[in-house]
Amino acid sequence: MKLTIDQRWDLIDKIAKQTITFGEYRHTLKDAIGEFTVKPLTGIPIAIAVMYAFWSIFGSFAGFFTDGFFVRLFDAYWLPWLQEVFPGQGGWLYTIMVDAGGIEGGEFVLSDNCLESFGVLTSGLFVAIGVVLPAIVIFYLMLALLEDIGYMPRLAVLIDTMLHKIGLHGYAIVPTILSLGCNVPGVTATRILETKKQRFIMMTLLAIFIPCGAQIGIMQDVIPGLMGWILLYLIIGYFIFGYILNKIVPGKAPEFLIDVPPYRRPMLSNIAKKVWGRIAGFFKVAIPFVLLGAAIVGVLYQIGVIRFLGDALAPVFVGWFGVPKETAGPLIAAFLRKDLAVAQLSVIEMTEYQMITAVVLVSIYFPCVATFAMMLKEGWKELLGAMAVLAVVVFAYGGLIHLIGILLGVA
Amino acid sequence: MAGKSSVAAIYFAILGIVTTAFGIADILVTAGASEFAYGILEIPGDLFRGGWGGVIVLFAGLFYLSGIRNFNEIHQFSKIVMGSILIWIMAGCDIFAMITESIPSWEEETGPWFNTLSDFIAAYAPPYAPAVLLLPFSLVVVYYIRKRKQEI
Amino acid sequence: MKVLLMGHPNVGKSVFFNRLTGANVTESNYPGTTVDFTKGYMKIDGEDVELIDVPGTFSLDPKDKAEEVAVAILYENKDVKVICVIDASKIERGVYLALEILEEGYPIVIALNMWDAAVDKNIQIDINNLQRILGVAVVPTVAISGEGIKELTSRLKEARPVEIDDIIRNAGGLT
Repeated sequence: MKLTIDQRWDLIDKIAKQTITFGEYRHTLKDAIGEFTVKPLTGIPIAIAVMYAFWSIFGSFAGFFTDGFFVRLFDAYWLPWLQEVFPGQGGWLYTIMVDAGGIEGGEFVLSDNCLESFGVLTSGLFVAIGVVLPAIVIFYLMLALLEDIGYMPRLAVLIDTMLHKIGLHGYAIVPTILSLGCNVPGVTATRILETKKQRFIMMTLLAIFIPCGAQIGIMQDVIPGLMGWILLYLIIGYFIFGYILNKIVPGKAPEFLIDVPPYRRPMLSNIAKKVWGRIAGFFKVAIPFVLLGAAIVGVLYQIGVIRFLGDALAPVFVGWFGVPKETAGPLIAAFLRKDLAVAQLSVIEMTEYQMITAVVLVSIYFPCVATFAMMLKEGWKELLGAMAVLAVVVFAYGGLIHLIGILLGVA
Repeated sequence: MAGKSSVAAIYFAILGIVTTAFGIADILVTAGASEFAYGILEIPGDLFRGGWGGVIVLFAGLFYLSGIRNFNEIHQFSKIVMGSILIWIMAGCDIFAMITESIPSWEEETGPWFNTLSDFIAAYAPPYAPAVLLLPFSLVVVYYIRKRKQEI
Repeated sequence: MKVLLMGHPNVGKSVFFNRLTGANVTESNYPGTTVDFTKGYMKIDGEDVELIDVPGTFSLDPKDKAEEVAVAILYENKDVKVICVIDASKIERGVYLALEILEEGYPIVIALNMWDAAVDKNIQIDINNLQRILGVAVVPTVAISGEGIKELTSRLKEARPVEIDDIIRNAGGLT
């Protein structure tokens, strides 16, 4: 026999009356603090502090490993050693695997650091292990802490009003923050949104505007001073295009109902397990693609494809986006790994504003291949739609950033 | 009981005023884009630690000040606790940054990988950022949390 | 034997799952951590039992994709037992889902999870009476620390379908 909804609640009411007694409930300190973290007046300052801590610890930790040890290990030991022992200096295999070098005064000279060498075993490994690994470890560690304490739903409640403007609701903060680690789990997490419209908007915004942990890690290392501007451009883009998408995508964006769980003491074993699982998952994707990306770009340089593309696309790059045509190479690498692309951009000579534009372009122009595959799994129609939006966004936003630069007199 | 809680109120009022002042100083120094050091106090002047961080210290001060009236009421008291938590977050970040900066030698090519013991210790010498200086005073709140627990 | 773990989002299904199977499913303190189902195996009285961690759902009337997954898993697996995980401090809503699953004719046992939080909140639950009315095993648990897990698995064999009419009668009729 099946009950109607009313009958069911009626029955539950009867059962509850006979079995549950609510004792006097005293507000505890935990409850009071829990309330403060969701009320805007007190919650927003707390959110600002949490974000600060996230960022500060991220920077200290990543800087400690990358600048304190890995840069030196790779530049002063690993690179010279490989340059020494790898056979066939100047040959194509050497160029791709170890060092593309440079021409100075008509002579071939070896690179003196792992960002400029462009080799699979030098730049590729340095980016993956020296830069991205520390960034990813600390990111996932802090994320796991915030998750297990129970802060995430509170952040969702706080940001709810703002996200409603772009057709989403507070809960969209979960895929967004997950994507800051890696877009792949972020795309999966869009399933917690109710309607097709919301999932589409979320997925598109993630793929376009949310830089992953690997990219943030490398930015922190090579262009720390410009990072604030780049993130600002991405966040503004996230909201502008979210707002537009909300207006043009048909469908509903329902209210959200969320249980805010009590704060809990995080369990060390769970955090360790979770962080380890995520890092392992990340590296299964990251290492092969970083190495493959470095190899493909190396080969494309060798056979002249990059130069050809650079020349062919020069009017778009130079005229519309206002960046040097050499950025064509990194943009191709960006399809495989964004971190690698940023590393390659960092050694191209350009002005600060061009660098900001170029890195923003690398972030938004195409999702990396792993994210692409994940989106395909969620539905090819959504993927096609997202790609269409992406094409428009790259041109519109890239041009807009250039325009802002011109108006500010820096581009 | 009333006498005791007024002691606490005065204590947190003073702490709140000092904290608020530090927060405002942080923001002003950052706006002037220079560092400021006096005695054991060093106010950072960069946009991140000074600006963003300064705003948080200021919030901490405001939390203290708004919580001192009717101190024994749980919601008021939790504002005080919240102020302290903000200080702990700030100070924790500053101290973590000190630790990570004190260990490597930061040599480019040759030389030892790790810092010498004396440089390692010197990294922890004053001057300190405002939140680190406020840290010991903010810990007083732990005493009151414990006291509350016992009363219940 | 196949067992489904069902319940509202963020009641600790994944914690149960990891406890029971020794697997590594991501657990977090927010609803919606599990958006896909995970299978694992455990042994009860020497018998191999397949356990499925189902995404959280409020009812059998799905509202998002993760809930659709949950409901689809339930309907696809007709010959299963269900462990219905309920937040002990929000019993009414949990029982709603449990009733729905019972109406579909599935045998269930109920885990009243986060029992410690209910105790903190001074909520008293008459377990014996609840068992009598519902006619199914009800076990208070604290999955995070492992309390009650053993009792839960040992009472899984008591799971049997219950007629809703019996529950109505035990509760003293509908209004």
